[in-house]
Amino acid sequence: MSLKNKYAIVGIGYTDQGRVPRRSALSFYVEACANAIKDAGLRREDIDGLISYRYFQPAPAEREVTPYSIAQHLGLAPKYLSQEANCARSHLAHALGALEAGLCHYVVVAYADNALSSNRFFDEINVDRAVFGQFGAFADYAMAARRAMHTFRTGPETWKEIAVGQRKWANLNPRAMFHDRPLTSEDYYNSNWFVEPFRVPDCCLISDGGRAYVVTSVERARDLRQQPVAIMGTGQHNPSSYIDQALYMAGPAGAKVAGETALKMAGITLSDIDACEIYDCFTYTVEITLQDYGFFEPGEGLDWFKDGMIEPGGKLPVNTSGGQLSEAYFMGLTPLTEAAMQLMGRCGDRQLGPKTNTKAPEIILCSDNGGILQTHCCTILSKI
Amino acid sequence: MTYEKPLPQPNADTKPFWDGCKQHQLRFQKCRDCQHIRWPPSIICPLCYSHDTEWIVASGRGKIYTFAVYHQAFHKAFENDLPYVTAVVELEEGPHLLTNIVGCNPEEIECDMPVEVIWEDINSEFTIPKFKILAEPKGRS
Repeated sequence: MSLKNKYAIVGIGYTDQGRVPRRSALSFYVEACANAIKDAGLRREDIDGLISYRYFQPAPAEREVTPYSIAQHLGLAPKYLSQEANCARSHLAHALGALEAGLCHYVVVAYADNALSSNRFFDEINVDRAVFGQFGAFADYAMAARRAMHTFRTGPETWKEIAVGQRKWANLNPRAMFHDRPLTSEDYYNSNWFVEPFRVPDCCLISDGGRAYVVTSVERARDLRQQPVAIMGTGQHNPSSYIDQALYMAGPAGAKVAGETALKMAGITLSDIDACEIYDCFTYTVEITLQDYGFFEPGEGLDWFKDGMIEPGGKLPVNTSGGQLSEAYFMGLTPLTEAAMQLMGRCGDRQLGPKTNTKAPEIILCSDNGGILQTHCCTILSKI
Repeated sequence: MTYEKPLPQPNADTKPFWDGCKQHQLRFQKCRDCQHIRWPPSIICPLCYSHDTEWIVASGRGKIYTFAVYHQAFHKAFENDLPYVTAVVELEEGPHLLTNIVGCNPEEIECDMPVEVIWEDINSEFTIPKFKILAEPKGRS
């Protein structure tokens, strides 16, 4: 039996975000979860499922944040508790599976970190890749982007459109770390190389803060405070080679099968999508994801992105909070929660519809991507 | 001068590879059943699950599958190398190997350029395989 429109997102939790010093990662988790529970109009006694992301190492003097510790600090005693390590993109599937099996009724999914203020390094030294000076996901993605430049027509000219377009959305979002900082094409080309071919604006932000959402059945959702947002379709794909052995650097990566699976469950085609919230660790990730979904053919991205396609006023708005490039980094929760907020109509100056000269959205497609294009989840949300 | 960059960390799977480097040999596992040459090392063939494995010595030639150019150092021991190049080299035998391209201006590098291994003996324990661009593309008519 299909899961289409059977479950819904019913609450979103935000915290202060950006540079928020003297806070533990745990404190952001706890605050984001509490805010999501309150936002849904639920009490802590109602929450019987908890799933948290965790991938990066904890800051010095902090313990690894586990769902047990989050539950303790929220006064929860969940019947279902789960944590994925190593960047897997399966949290929503876990939540839906547990709900569908009747193991629990209200699941909170959360991600938080104090990554910016703790100023820790994001990679390991005691691994063989460090022997060659290969550090960080940015270098692996830079290699993928370079192979794409060799395989089809792409490069800074395409990625600039993504960076500049998303920044325009961030300039409408008071929560965004780059709310007050416009980005022009000239600024893009004048910015420093990070790891070539990526310049600094091609790379996502590092953020302090947290984000959480609550998911339950559409039936239960009807009694709650917010207008529920239905999960119309979802799909995953995990082509799990290490990037240095991967043949999908220039696509198709996991997005192709994950996207087809999600669209099939939803029973729609790409032409039904009103906006996209795409996991954007790097500009190239946005391009290859949309390309793999089939919005354009390989190498046609440059023409597709031109003339403000994804910007306020554009035909297909993308990353309307500013995304991880310009709002803040909360793994797959930056895109997913923004899609839910847009469909709830709670996005203020950046709200899709007349306010931003865009189509009022009925259906939004989201992506979550992990590892180095190794693991992908596509989720389609819709108004009920 | 002391070598301050991170050193290889051989484990039970990768030790034969690093031992080979010490002999200036690029060694990879080959499945005796389906002939697939695999990297990284594993106890069984990822294609046919056979345990029957031999180690072969690769030619050391290949082409650049992709590369990245570092303009800032994320580890202080690499500061003097800036700008430096990490790359994935597709070896003639098939495996993709993460390495460095050295001895050229990073601006000259392109994907699919032919390369050949060179050996950097860093101490009594370890030798690192790096690659240089071959002046004449192999098989050029």
